[in-house]
Amino acid sequence: MSAVMQSVTSHDSYLTGLLPATVTAQTATPEWLTALRADAAQRVRALPFPTTRDEEWRFSDFSLMCKTTFAPAIAAATLTTADIAPFLLPEATHGRLVFVNGVHAQHLSSSSLPQGVIVTTFTAGLASETLRTHLAQYATFQNEAFVALNTSHAHDGALVVLGKNTACATPLHVLFVSTASTTPVATFPRCLIVAEPGSECTLIEDYVHLSTTRTASTYFTNAVTEIVIAENAIVRHTRLQRESSSAFHVGHAAIHLSHNSVYDSNSITFGARLSRYNLNIIQNAEGANCTLNGLVLISGRQMADTHTVMDHTQPNGNSAQLHKCIVDGGAHAIFNGKIFVRKDAQHTHSTQSSRNLLLSNKGRVDTKPQLEIFADDVKCAHGATVSQLETEEMFYLNSRGLNANTARNLLIYAFAEAIIDKVPVNSLKQRLSQKVSSQVGEVV
Amino acid sequence: MSSALETLINRPYEYGFVTDIESDALPKGLNEDVIRLISSKKNEPDWLLEFRLNAYRHWLTLTPPEWANVAHPKVDFQDMVYYSAPKPRKKLASMDEVDPELLRTFEKLGVPMSERKALANVAVDVIFDSVSVTTTYKDKLAEVGVIFCSFSEAVKQHPELVKKYLGSVVPTGDNFYAALNSAVFTDGSFCYIPKGCRCPMDLSTYFRINNGESGQFERTLIVAEEGSYVSYLEGCTAPRFDTNQLHAAVVELVALDHAEIKYSTVQNWYAGDENGVGGIYNFVTKRGLCQGVNSKISWTQVETGSAITWKYPSCVLIGDNSIGEFYSVALTNHHQQADTGTKMIHIGKNTRSRIVSKGISAGQSNNSYRGLVKVSAKADDARNYSQCDSMLIGATCGANTFPYIEVHNSTAKVEHEASTSRIGEDQMFYFASRGIGAEEAVSMIINGFCKEVFNHLPMEFAVEATQLLGLKLEGSVG
Repeated sequence: MSAVMQSVTSHDSYLTGLLPATVTAQTATPEWLTALRADAAQRVRALPFPTTRDEEWRFSDFSLMCKTTFAPAIAAATLTTADIAPFLLPEATHGRLVFVNGVHAQHLSSSSLPQGVIVTTFTAGLASETLRTHLAQYATFQNEAFVALNTSHAHDGALVVLGKNTACATPLHVLFVSTASTTPVATFPRCLIVAEPGSECTLIEDYVHLSTTRTASTYFTNAVTEIVIAENAIVRHTRLQRESSSAFHVGHAAIHLSHNSVYDSNSITFGARLSRYNLNIIQNAEGANCTLNGLVLISGRQMADTHTVMDHTQPNGNSAQLHKCIVDGGAHAIFNGKIFVRKDAQHTHSTQSSRNLLLSNKGRVDTKPQLEIFADDVKCAHGATVSQLETEEMFYLNSRGLNANTARNLLIYAFAEAIIDKVPVNSLKQRLSQKVSSQVGEVV
Repeated sequence: MSSALETLINRPYEYGFVTDIESDALPKGLNEDVIRLISSKKNEPDWLLEFRLNAYRHWLTLTPPEWANVAHPKVDFQDMVYYSAPKPRKKLASMDEVDPELLRTFEKLGVPMSERKALANVAVDVIFDSVSVTTTYKDKLAEVGVIFCSFSEAVKQHPELVKKYLGSVVPTGDNFYAALNSAVFTDGSFCYIPKGCRCPMDLSTYFRINNGESGQFERTLIVAEEGSYVSYLEGCTAPRFDTNQLHAAVVELVALDHAEIKYSTVQNWYAGDENGVGGIYNFVTKRGLCQGVNSKISWTQVETGSAITWKYPSCVLIGDNSIGEFYSVALTNHHQQADTGTKMIHIGKNTRSRIVSKGISAGQSNNSYRGLVKVSAKADDARNYSQCDSMLIGATCGANTFPYIEVHNSTAKVEHEASTSRIGEDQMFYFASRGIGAEEAVSMIINGFCKEVFNHLPMEFAVEATQLLGLKLEGSVG
């Protein structure tokens, strides 16, 4: 008993160990940011490490990461563009921000965007009033230990500002690269995207790794992204999590929508030993529109947890969500999708579907689609399925001369492709398709 | 919501009255002495006292669950009477000897306990404030070997059966309220269907809470031996009181090989007035164990009463090919809160479960479906289908669904779907244009919505349930 108690206590102080050594170390940090970071650090000290006893963490046990001590990543490794070439997108050469181990790498980034589009880092944008107005206003850290931890480190992040009525034709690529290191490191990526009225952009948020050996590929990514979408603005957000299979990844995204704005999300999870993605969306004005697509493809001993919150607070909002998981080996996929329809949100139309393909007997799927509705004139539906491949579908393909293995791979590929196909950047779509087919096996 | 949909009258709770019978009640409060006293008043064997005390000691270590989507002031468990029995009388030879006041009560409730019930072919074990007063048709059931009696009688007549199965489905420490029930339960029903017997009639119990301050802690245990079948009906009403009353029952079902138990409930306890004052707290643990191969347990419930309902009739599917079913209509109006649903735990191979839940919320009420479908690693080829539909009447109520799906086996097939809708003005207009009044129209729409569940109710319950829903919704739609 005492041993258990001890380990609980040590977990609670675990996150405190990940706090920045001193908040004021960075030069030219404005006062408001120092105060914000100090507040966040205070919350990290106060909040316990989430355990499976917390309803929100019921199925995702992160205690494993507490066995590893992570050092803060210091300087960017010396990488060249050639090193990260496999991750570069030909469509996104005009707006690319690269962070290596959490630190901005100027020489790998590029920015030649039309007027009205600003893609920069917090450090460069510190003077801007936009940063001060929006940073940490949406991803609240009062009750979220990991958000608080990230906020306590917030000084170097990606800042994207789209001016009024500016449409950015090319996608913007924010790439977070983790490299091999002798000791496990922790990085705290942060993004703030502000889409002013009538603007439009496509954003790729990408987490990748360059490590090769297993021991060197243990690291911890604690990411927070905030996206503010003003009236009539459109943001298409693709989030790729391709961390190493022994990494830990905890990501939060907070999306704030205004009148008639549009938010499309494609979140794709392939990597990490343990990963958690919280996507919290709030429709704060009438007529907002959201499409959420998710794909989780995991195997081995991976665990991937996706928690989404779709909060309809005002009338005439729409949301459509499709989340798919493919679970092989001893992997464990978790989905919790909450839809709130508040009292005033009449004429909301909301759908949610959780589809899970469980390929192995050691695998596990926990899904919990959740509806909470307080307005009566709404249309809401959700559905969830967990199943293996249909024998009828297998038989159909077998009868057309495909052997069992090919038929299986083809069906899994098709299941995943329904999401991949929605990624709005062609080169990325192709690479993801290849990744899926290489993971599930040969498809004719 | 149109003005036409807002003007229906509130019909007061018909069954709100207190029967004036002297009752033999213990003082308020709970401690080991109270439990010993309950046990000795009931002349219980030592093992049962031990069972109660173990439960009580475990209960002391537990805290009331707070995860449910309901809000209520803390229940003071020391401010409650744990035993109240109508003053004992001489053994009754016939119905004529029963307290006429009591008979009148049942008359008002519409419980046709006398000859009329015989024609309806139903045996009624009447629970009146915790102690079973009379049981009918025991002889007829005894002919085929069915034991259907009060729990206290079962403890005396069939201690080996009670000892074997009591707490085997819901262990004493299962949850806060089950532990409390195990410690202080005063009476309930016991039912044993012997091997290969198809119970010749529907067994039925009418529960009634009477004493204003007594929490009601019944215990029901139904054992269906190999190849047997029983249909069990439970119906409830309670008089009107302003202090909240706690009701924490435990129902245990055991189905052995090839056995089938069908358990139907219509619950219409006092739900508090339109301002949310008073009403019953209904915190019930109901669980069925499909222990044998090819066994089947089916729960059908119509929940319309209680200020707060906290109830999850569950099936543990252990036997291969066993089947669990749950059909539910939960209706909340005014300030009622319901957090109800089911758990289907698949353990055996080829186990199947089906969940159909219909929630209707009106007034300022809050109605939640909370369900768990769990397929364990060894439950090959398990199959589940769940459907949860909600209907909202008015803009101030809430409907929530919290389905938990946990799958550990790749051969499982689990489906869940849920939808939310309301009674639209266009629908009302359609009825109105055909000369059908608002009240009747709502009743027809609601009954159509619930038809899938009502189809699974025994005939007489189905009729009652249809009327009950219409009655309960008066005042919320119109």
